[in-house]
Amino acid sequence: MTDVLECTDCGQRTFYEKRRCLVCAADSFERRDPGVGELLATTTSHVTVDGVRNPNRLGLARFDGDTNVIAQLDGDLEPGDAVRLEDGAELRETDAGTLRGGRLELAD
Amino acid sequence: MIAQSENAGPAAATAPIGVAGVGMTRFASTDDRSLLELLETASETAIEDADLDRSTIDTVIVGNMAAEAFNRRSGLANALVASIGINGADARRIENTSASGASAFLTGVDAIRAGRASTVLVVGGEKMSSADVATSTDIISRITHHAEYEHGITLPSFAGLAADRYLREHDIDREELARVPVKSHKNASENPYAQFNNRITVEEALSSPRISTPLRLYDCCPTSDGAAAVVLTAGEEAVTVAGCEGASGVHAVADRPNPLRIESVRRAGRSVYDAADIEPNDIDVACIHDAFSILEWLEMEELGLADHGEAWTLTRDGETDLDGALPVNPGGGLKARGHPLGATGISQIIELVWQLRGELPSNRAVPDPEYGLAINVAGFGNNSICSILEATV
Repeated sequence: MTDVLECTDCGQRTFYEKRRCLVCAADSFERRDPGVGELLATTTSHVTVDGVRNPNRLGLARFDGDTNVIAQLDGDLEPGDAVRLEDGAELRETDAGTLRGGRLELAD
Repeated sequence: MIAQSENAGPAAATAPIGVAGVGMTRFASTDDRSLLELLETASETAIEDADLDRSTIDTVIVGNMAAEAFNRRSGLANALVASIGINGADARRIENTSASGASAFLTGVDAIRAGRASTVLVVGGEKMSSADVATSTDIISRITHHAEYEHGITLPSFAGLAADRYLREHDIDREELARVPVKSHKNASENPYAQFNNRITVEEALSSPRISTPLRLYDCCPTSDGAAAVVLTAGEEAVTVAGCEGASGVHAVADRPNPLRIESVRRAGRSVYDAADIEPNDIDVACIHDAFSILEWLEMEELGLADHGEAWTLTRDGETDLDGALPVNPGGGLKARGHPLGATGISQIIELVWQLRGELPSNRAVPDPEYGLAINVAGFGNNSICSILEATV
């Protein structure tokens, strides 16, 4: 989840896979680089489930097109910081192995 | 702007639907009875309260979220009707995560509205104590979008993010949020059906263990065992259903344009006000789905019970206290009455019935309420059911 999905009909963006666009119900998306976003809120979760780091720091970030994502967060980032999604982070362990994906990091 | 399918609107007004009887078990961290026994107990109490011949019950709706995961059983509705002498009734189970209770209630109301039923038993329950906290957290977190689940996002972490954003956006001191569970515990201390009867202070709330910052233990509802039941009839009773409507929102929480807005609550509220033909300022008492302290404020704002960014001032000024202008969660709410998932929505209805009948002792009672509202929310706002009850006697 480091790409944003852009509806080919109306341009609405989402980070969350779905069959049809939330706005126009079209069924075709193109993958885009979301670029740099702004961190809006953070939390550190101290009650996590098996296979997930503890504590688990999470961030809510807004990207171009008012597109929001909630993702694991690295470092001491604070709301207002510029962030990007960096691929390859170890998100959680499952019976099928390690799940990797995008984690929010400070944008250069 | 999220363009979802518009609701068809509230169902057309029909003959009155009365709440003839109510009953619930005391909610508890652990209840030694099985889930089926809890459902039976609540059902028997509601039938006795309704004072009717159980053979007149033609429909039974059971609300439950996760009996398979928590208790390794299914077929609850069939087991229940066969056990309590209502076999032959149309019976089924409704699952809608933490709004399973109110969804069952809505299904029962719909059965009467549609003319399919005349007397309906609606009962909801959950027995969560069979799983440890980590397992319960995992069961509940599986309702999230798979991309959220991959990041280890839990319901408390959604609430932590919302609280962080709300407090920053409106420049509110953290202690203001602690006043919500302080009020809930105070109300629950007088409620013999509540899981917690202890009062807490702001200081205790602020020093309790961290769960998902800035939220701490006392900002979060517990896991609970319990069941709650109502008997609905076609016809007028001391309390009638003025409206009951549901609405869904987006699945992934971050897909909301504004993470502090809960579209499903707003839509369900708008529909139920239309159905009841009243305005938010007509509400005299409210049962809000405060699974986390911040949700009490967010839902009140979506329901028009407070302006956006202002709900916290009602808490600060005591307006939501039992003797305030708009008492909220007089039974202690999810936070202190408890949150046995499938029972919660029905326990909210029962609290309103008790208040509207005027049969509670003075230390529990809202003075002379005419309209009561309940909002039961699935997940962190994926789906909501809003009900308005009216005192008719």
